[in-house]
Amino acid sequence: MRRRLLCAAADLALIAYFVFALFPVAWMVVLSLKPTNELFSTYFSFTPTLDSYRTVLGAGDDQGVPFLRFFVNSLVVSLGAVALSLVIGLPAAYAAARWRFRGSENLMFTLLSFRFAPELTVIIPLFVLYQQLGLFDSYVGMVWVLQLVTLPLIVWIMRSYFSDLSPELEQAALLDGYTRKQAFFRVALPLVKPGIAAVSLLAFIFAWNNFVFPLILTSSNAQTVTVGALSFLGGDRPKYNLTAAAALVSVVPPLLLALTIQRYLVRGLSFGAVKS
Amino acid sequence: MTGPAAITLRGVGKRYGKNTALDGLDLEVAEGEFFCLLGPSGAGKTTTLKTIAGLEQPQAGTVELGGADMAGVEPYDRGVAMCFESYALYPHRTAYDNLASPLRSPRHRLPAHEARERIGEIAELLGIGALLDRQVGRLSNGQRQRVALGRVLVRPARAFLLDEPLSHLDAKLRQAMRAELRAIGAVRRTTTLYVTHDSVEALALGDRIGVIRDGRMVQTGTREELWHRPCDTFVARSFGRPRINLLPGTVTPEGHFRSSDGAYELPLAVPAPPGTAVQLGVRPRDIGLGAPAGTGGGPALELTGAVHVTELLGRATEVTVRIGGQRLSLVVPRAEAAGLSPDRPVRLSVAPESLLLFEADRPARPGRRIST
Repeated sequence: MRRRLLCAAADLALIAYFVFALFPVAWMVVLSLKPTNELFSTYFSFTPTLDSYRTVLGAGDDQGVPFLRFFVNSLVVSLGAVALSLVIGLPAAYAAARWRFRGSENLMFTLLSFRFAPELTVIIPLFVLYQQLGLFDSYVGMVWVLQLVTLPLIVWIMRSYFSDLSPELEQAALLDGYTRKQAFFRVALPLVKPGIAAVSLLAFIFAWNNFVFPLILTSSNAQTVTVGALSFLGGDRPKYNLTAAAALVSVVPPLLLALTIQRYLVRGLSFGAVKS
Repeated sequence: MTGPAAITLRGVGKRYGKNTALDGLDLEVAEGEFFCLLGPSGAGKTTTLKTIAGLEQPQAGTVELGGADMAGVEPYDRGVAMCFESYALYPHRTAYDNLASPLRSPRHRLPAHEARERIGEIAELLGIGALLDRQVGRLSNGQRQRVALGRVLVRPARAFLLDEPLSHLDAKLRQAMRAELRAIGAVRRTTTLYVTHDSVEALALGDRIGVIRDGRMVQTGTREELWHRPCDTFVARSFGRPRINLLPGTVTPEGHFRSSDGAYELPLAVPAPPGTAVQLGVRPRDIGLGAPAGTGGGPALELTGAVHVTELLGRATEVTVRIGGQRLSLVVPRAEAAGLSPDRPVRLSVAPESLLLFEADRPARPGRRIST
């Protein structure tokens, strides 16, 4: 009896949290379906319309905000950042897991410090640098600066995955007649696939959601959805319905990605904990 | 021996931080020889194999294979095959793919159909023919161990390095595999360095045996040499179950052995300076029950004591006898021990030539054998 009560209380608490957490999302969905003239009525009775979505996904509003372009920019920049981080980060993580060399721990710590230092501390010098180098408002510039977000994540998480692999597996490959490079690609890499999937998704989400870098380092050419969605708030009347629709549209890629690699994700997140 | 030795280690030293794994290890394995490396865990056996394979770089000394110095030679260029104690099988592949791995590598590539044939033979030999399609994760430890052994035997090698390759098999299978291992053609033809902590395995398999302790080679030799002329008490204790009896005592002015509590004296065949603290070694199976029967080789020595406890070991019985304050264990056929009960006085006989005399053990150094 007491147990059942406890269970019921737990359920209740969960439901309460669920409502609390989902309410803003629900509010946003409602907001995105409101027509512009009913935007500021607090009632839930209104004529739902998909006009906001049409505007956002179509040609843009009367201000000429090209949201679709921002969307593509976000995709290019985030995917590019994750891809580059994987190419650089996987070998780096492997090396950090397998070899101790002079300064290796310092190097790793420096990398980690990129994560916990606020982005705002470096943004002004970066802005000046980007202006000078011609990287301002360019894809290359954005992919590069997002390495501050994605690279430490990938290196640190993948290092722990590689550390969990027995080095004897690669040693066995060396004795089977494979070179060190082949041992890495044929033995070590396939075994950390679930980790790569999990960390890539995480890095993608962080890159996609990044706000400060595109805010300062882009203007129109390479601007991303996070900043672009706010463009609808400019002008004489803020169009909250358009911003809400834009925000909801921009949730789609990370969500789809998470759903497709969910299978790996669960394995990936529990991989380090369970030793065979 | 003609030509250079297959494997030569000279003064090899290896430290991990503050821990010394190998401390000036010397080892020489002749071409085609089956050499057993015996030692307790932590003695440096695995490090020795990995150093030979090139997976660990020694900080001192040299490693030679076939007379050529291996410094700076990559593992894949050394041509040795190694079976890891942890199996080190590729967990994401099937047993077949694990066995095929060396045959697909750039160094030992075989055409696919030849590889299939070769893998079939080896799998049959090791009794894993039916398991080839299974993922490694779904094999038992014993099966994994045989796949790991198969991955070594499947390819040609200059030497096989086997790290406890039978340790995870159940007792029956281990015995069968032990008998078969040496008969396998590849093993018969190839220099094999076999690491074990099991003295029975070492005695059964090794052409020669090396006993290793704290990263140093204590003694190498044939099984007879190690059994009859162990260089110290560590080697003597390493072979034989129940263990050799080591009775502490001193040498009397007449050159006899007197037990530490003075309960008995025995004449010694080897001269030792009077007053030396010594240990008398005698193996349990070299002691007879009852009055000396004179089994050739001079008059037997006699001891008297009282039965302490008896324990049945299958067809034989281990009898522990109290002589003064010391205990002595002996193994006799079961029939002879029938009717022995605790505290019954017994007479024991020992052939003088089976006695071994050692110096007393010192801390961190086992007593050396005193010989003529």
